[in-house]
Amino acid sequence: MHEAHNHIGEKPGWSVATHRRLSVVNSEEIPPAPAAAEFVEMLLSVATRKDRQAFAALFRHFGPRLKTFFMRGAMSAGLAEDLVQETMLTVWRKASYFDPARAGVATWIFTIARNRRIDHLRRQRDPASLPFDPPEMPPSQEEVFVVAERDTRIRSALAGLSEEQQTILRMAYFSEKSQSEIAEELGIPLGTVKSRTRLAMNRLRTLLEDEK
Amino acid sequence: MSSNHHAKDETLMRFAAGTLAAGPSLVVEAHLAGCSTCRARIAEYEAVGGSFLEDIEPTQLSETALADTLAMIDQEDEMPAPVSAQKPVEIDGIRLPDALRGCDIGRWRWAGPGVRMSRVGVPHDPEANLILLKVGPGRALPDHGHVGTEFTYIVSGSYTDRFGQFRPGDLAEMDEDVEHQPIVDQGADCICLAAMEGRMRFNSVIGRMLQPIFGI
Repeated sequence: MHEAHNHIGEKPGWSVATHRRLSVVNSEEIPPAPAAAEFVEMLLSVATRKDRQAFAALFRHFGPRLKTFFMRGAMSAGLAEDLVQETMLTVWRKASYFDPARAGVATWIFTIARNRRIDHLRRQRDPASLPFDPPEMPPSQEEVFVVAERDTRIRSALAGLSEEQQTILRMAYFSEKSQSEIAEELGIPLGTVKSRTRLAMNRLRTLLEDEK
Repeated sequence: MSSNHHAKDETLMRFAAGTLAAGPSLVVEAHLAGCSTCRARIAEYEAVGGSFLEDIEPTQLSETALADTLAMIDQEDEMPAPVSAQKPVEIDGIRLPDALRGCDIGRWRWAGPGVRMSRVGVPHDPEANLILLKVGPGRALPDHGHVGTEFTYIVSGSYTDRFGQFRPGDLAEMDEDVEHQPIVDQGADCICLAAMEGRMRFNSVIGRMLQPIFGI
């Protein structure tokens, strides 16, 4: 513990941001977030040293985002907060499984949040259902060296989508809503949701291939 | 094992987003184990999720959220790492996909001439509609009248339909409006793992009651 504190220096340690974020959120009360590489250091420090300060910094950054993520899936603020805690607890427990050669920190945390949400929805329907804990997949050949490059590629591909296409993909990621429910919420016919989703997917795929 | 028939992009995205139902997810997972092309796409779609998460606007947490989580961490002692000591699953001496570890594989039951079926129980989703099929050479795969997309992973043997030949490791993904009649190739039984979606989506009770009526 104390060693870990010394290692990372004074209190603000991890929360000092040296890089700017790509998109600015809200106003000045939110300090600019650390860059992807710093998150990797933090998570590795949690894994190897049980570094609570690094964990706290990750929590401060991802916790409020995870809360929005869960709330978009039609969960109450209270429930969303419970799942944020569950997710971050899993981050603590499984930190040693994090492999920076395979995924960025945001992506890794996203997959944990996704699994916790699947768990929650299944428990809701059947309290007896067992935890969903998928095994780690072996990496694909392309995966070994390209994490940072892939993340950049994906960011620029997403930026190439129209606002409307981004919205429809985001909805597909953040909620369990069926396409017919999405249609209702957006006030457009189901067929339009289906075709827009397909168009957005195809466009994203084209952009991703172009970036390669 | 290289595959010739893959999952659709939309399916891979839903798998990565966690919105694909449990049965189809396991069928896709079986295919992923032997298909690095689809695994690479999953990794991309997960990174899309990561990027969305990074860009989402934050919602303030309660003041005690961090302290509460740290307290939970304190409470748990050194947790032993979960050991997955589950044995490989097999049927008829044929190794089944690792995705089915922990699942409850039923016995073969007669399901028509030359056709045997076994229900697969999924512990984390008892409602999942997942089956193993064993169909004799030259026989047609039974028409099971699915609502929504059907996912089929070939475990052993092979079959052919108008989309080509499907061999071990391949994934067939058929929308409900696709007409096809798979016939098992000569030489050996074909064992496949099949899941249907449509009836077991994450829907409300009323939604589930209405589903057969509206075909959603």
